Amino acid sequence: MMQSSISDWLTIILRRDLIIAFRRSSTYITPLIFFLIVVTFFPLALGPQESLLSSLAPGVIWIAALLASLLAVETIFSEDFRDGTLDDFFISLEPSFILVFAKVLIHWLITGLPILIASMIAALVLYLPFESFIPMIFSLLLGTSFMSLLGALGAALSLGRSAILSAIIVLPFSIPTLLMGTSVISSSLINQDFSGYLMIMGAMLAIGIPGLCLLTVEALLLNYE
Amino acid sequence: MNKIWNFIKRWFIEMGSPPLFYKWSSKILPWLSIVSILILGVGLYWGMFYAPTDYKQGDVYRILFIHVPSAILGQSIFMFMAICGFINMIWRAKISGMMLKSAAPIGASFTLLALVTGSIWGKPTWGTWWVWDARLTSTLILFFIYAALIGLHSTIEDKTKADRAVSILSIVGIAIIPVIKKSVDWWQTLHQPSTFTITSSPSMSPDMYQPLLICVIGFYLFFALLLTLNLRNEVLEREKNKNWVRQLFGGLS
Amino acid sequence: MLPNLKVENLSSVRSEKVIFDNINFEVMPGQNIEIIGSNGSGKTTLLRTILGLINQDKGQILWLDDNDNYNKFRTFDCFYQGHQLGIKNLLTVYENLQLTKNSIGMPQEEIYKLLERVGLSNINDFAANLSVGQRKRIAVARWLLKEFKVYLIDEPFSALDDKATLLIEDLIKELNAKGCSFIITGHRPSNILASRMEI
Repeated sequence: MMQSSISDWLTIILRRDLIIAFRRSSTYITPLIFFLIVVTFFPLALGPQESLLSSLAPGVIWIAALLASLLAVETIFSEDFRDGTLDDFFISLEPSFILVFAKVLIHWLITGLPILIASMIAALVLYLPFESFIPMIFSLLLGTSFMSLLGALGAALSLGRSAILSAIIVLPFSIPTLLMGTSVISSSLINQDFSGYLMIMGAMLAIGIPGLCLLTVEALLLNYE
Repeated sequence: MNKIWNFIKRWFIEMGSPPLFYKWSSKILPWLSIVSILILGVGLYWGMFYAPTDYKQGDVYRILFIHVPSAILGQSIFMFMAICGFINMIWRAKISGMMLKSAAPIGASFTLLALVTGSIWGKPTWGTWWVWDARLTSTLILFFIYAALIGLHSTIEDKTKADRAVSILSIVGIAIIPVIKKSVDWWQTLHQPSTFTITSSPSMSPDMYQPLLICVIGFYLFFALLLTLNLRNEVLEREKNKNWVRQLFGGLS
Repeated sequence: MLPNLKVENLSSVRSEKVIFDNINFEVMPGQNIEIIGSNGSGKTTLLRTILGLINQDKGQILWLDDNDNYNKFRTFDCFYQGHQLGIKNLLTVYENLQLTKNSIGMPQEEIYKLLERVGLSNINDFAANLSVGQRKRIAVARWLLKEFKVYLIDEPFSALDDKATLLIEDLIKELNAKGCSFIITGHRPSNILASRMEI
């Protein structure tokens, strides 16, 4: 009999979910398109002046990233819950929060990463200066990861109900990420040190990964009652 | 010493049982109502009419006797809810879940009251109905968090399950609220280097501090009263098909 | 020979309705339990309660550990197959068997042999195109990836033709001989050797 460790199982989950995600291209295309559409709405609604847009750019990019990651997270558990694949997470003897973290990671790869890449296009069209690109990417990297964690909890709590509900219950908690993330980009624009904000975001991620994954496990178990 | 400890333990376990809680709360309700309304009334009356006029802000500042306690309550109630949520998740005590659910609308109302009174205070003092200062913004976010919790609870049909869902969210809330406050502070200093608070309390003389303290205590007691009333309703609603409720109300269905 | 699992006085209540009450049984190695009930009678809830997904309101569930003691927690892996089978539509038949926790380290040929055993030849077809019977065969193939002490299967015999039913009965007999037990549910009593109870 083969003795399998949890890392083997994590690899299986990763392979399986990524294969499924890539066979249904809408999974990773939709968050990206949504992000770009939201970004486009701002110059459309507020006018195309370069000075206006470049001053708004940090906020616009972050709002779009936030909305795109939150609305895209609805499917993280719904399919697995419906077809019974999620049951294995809680029946096995392995700690379920690690498995939930794997799902969150996969989800980030499908939504957060495309947003990260698309943000460079957004920064271009919003006239964000090149020097701010790297800070922007770092802030989005930390921020969208935290959004995936929060979004997973929201999705678990509102499993089977509307995506808006899962976004609403989690949006207030994403405000620090929004404030920190935009501050990173804004500080880089005026050549101020932004490392403090990044460190806070990193700390939130460090606490959030175990904490939110554990709470997400509890939230998922509620759906079985 | 052991007897006292046993008494406390027994009291906790008993309070976890809805019928016993109902009986106990029926006994203390008259006292609680009298004491809370009395103290609250004294505090408000004193503050509104007898405290000295502030030399900078005139009589408008008196609204702080409502604004400050409601802001304090709004935050304390959330902490109370988070503790209830924690107890509910770990020990699955149904009454703590019901306490959370009953406290939420009260906390939301106090937070809303703080926002409205803050706005009323701001108009004559600073000229605008709203300003995005750190305190008001944090209070607004707190209100949104309350709304999210109440909204989530109403979406889930099974009320015990709803309690647990809201418990989870309240735990996240209590962890993130300090972060929200800090980040709003930084956001303020980044965008408006000259910080000001619209609701900065005037330098407090003891003549102002004493009625304020009484108001705060009165508000806390009033919260206890409202919570007890709400919780009793909640208990009755959830247990309405049980025998003890039927007996209490003479067999009416 | 000690029972691997003991269920004592189990009872579950949801929203004032009693879902099941006073459930008692012991699961000896190699022996089966069959739970019969109509739709909505709580069969799935019972299985989930035994597995620990749901908390019971009364009674206890005891699992045997390696030192022959009984504990409230489980120390060995169980196999659970719910109503929904856990088949992924966007994966092929082969991938549905290969990308599972229990098939880690299993060489390709062995997986092919398993698929042959359960009568599936279209291994590169996507699961979305399969009939219910074929999907059930994939699910059954998963039973054989590893040997578990206890299998909990929700309605294994529903929606099956005679050939598939015989296949499953044979597999259960084979696994019983190796000391594996099955706890299955269903609407009607099946032909396998089991202690039956109604819920």
